[in-house]
Amino acid sequence: MNWLQDYFNLRLVSEYADVFAEGIWQTLWISAVCLALSLIFGTLLALARMSKNPLLWRPVAGYIQFIRATPLLVQIYLVYYGLPTIMPSGMLFDEVQSGIIALTLHTSPYMGEIIRAGIGSVARGQIEGALSVGMTPRQTMRHITLPQAIANVMPPLLGQTAVLIKDTSLLSIIAVFELLGAGLLMFSETVVATESYVTVAICYLAIYAMMLVLSGIVQNRLGGSAWQAN
Amino acid sequence: MEWITDKWDIVVQLYPFLLKGLWLTFQISIIAILIGSTIGFVLGVAKTTGFRLLNGVINLYLHLLRGSPYLVQLYIVYFVLPATGIAWLSFDSYMAAIVSLSLYTSSYVTEIVAAAINAVPKGQAEAARSVGMTRAQTYRHIVVPQALKLTIPPMASIYVIVIKSTAVLSVIGISELTRQGEVAIMRMPGDIMFIYSLIAVFYFIYCYPMLRLSKWAEGRFGTTGGGDT
Repeated sequence: MNWLQDYFNLRLVSEYADVFAEGIWQTLWISAVCLALSLIFGTLLALARMSKNPLLWRPVAGYIQFIRATPLLVQIYLVYYGLPTIMPSGMLFDEVQSGIIALTLHTSPYMGEIIRAGIGSVARGQIEGALSVGMTPRQTMRHITLPQAIANVMPPLLGQTAVLIKDTSLLSIIAVFELLGAGLLMFSETVVATESYVTVAICYLAIYAMMLVLSGIVQNRLGGSAWQAN
Repeated sequence: MEWITDKWDIVVQLYPFLLKGLWLTFQISIIAILIGSTIGFVLGVAKTTGFRLLNGVINLYLHLLRGSPYLVQLYIVYFVLPATGIAWLSFDSYMAAIVSLSLYTSSYVTEIVAAAINAVPKGQAEAARSVGMTRAQTYRHIVVPQALKLTIPPMASIYVIVIKSTAVLSVIGISELTRQGEVAIMRMPGDIMFIYSLIAVFYFIYCYPMLRLSKWAEGRFGTTGGGDT
């Protein structure tokens, strides 16, 4: 194993094991918070986008287009550097909070568009059936349409979650300590690029592999229509 | 009123720099798209030929590129590859940007091309073989031309992803649009929100037509998935 030691010093990496473990933990919990928030916010966006009221759906459509046509990094800068300059003093967010806000604002429209496609995929008869047994439109949406919609679009939702986890790496640029931040810390202290960055990549790949396994389990549990399409 | 003239002055002062940044963003994104699409096209076609070993290698390549963030890939190309000591892997920042972005693009394009080729009805290839075309001729004249049409809508949205990814290049000091904005803010620290919004508008002007093209092409040529992520 000596030849490997020349390229990849495992002893050095093991000294930083707890730093990387902390980084993985930060990446995972930040992703989880952003995922929960963007699913809620995304559902609201999807419902607003499908409203017939132009005062509601037009601004929402504009917001979705704006997010999709600008880079995440610029959105993070807008929230982290820009927002404090226009907010009343005293209302300041730290790096982690700014990062979570920016990532949620970024991910929600993508989640919303997926959920909207899901709602469109629910059979018309399901909704008519629910209405005809006396459910209100609100009850129908909550108990009949949304559960089926989400089951139908689980594959793209999981795919977008994987993108979200990768996107948290950009938060290292505004000095949030997460997985890539752990690599940057190791690099700045040891100046060995290979061990620092390749370890980060391996950790991300491990998270990605777990997402693939999870996606397989979900696929077996619920066979929505989107699964057959693939 | 004073607010508007104030901000207009900033726009007039900054737009030559931002335009320079946009031009570099445009150049880098086009080069990466061209190289990445070429690699992706070759790998995508190779993936459908049905050699198990080749397929495994390509899948590994795709998982490596899709499973890690682009920023990490950029750091690996820029910092780790030169550390191997192999001379031609010592990239300067421009080469590192183009190499990493091309590889990243190719991972998306490979999947789209493979999906499009698989979406061409099997009867097309069978008919071509039955009239005496060889396997290569069938690919060249029958399957690939039909598949290419199907790749247009997802490809347009991949290009938007590539354009947006160029913003990350500012961290290795390439003076593209985002970097130019950061420099502008160092000169005028009072207008952070306005300048970043201005940069966002520049990106929007570049990306939005591509998103529309993708939407239009979806109606025109149909969709094979892949799509926007």
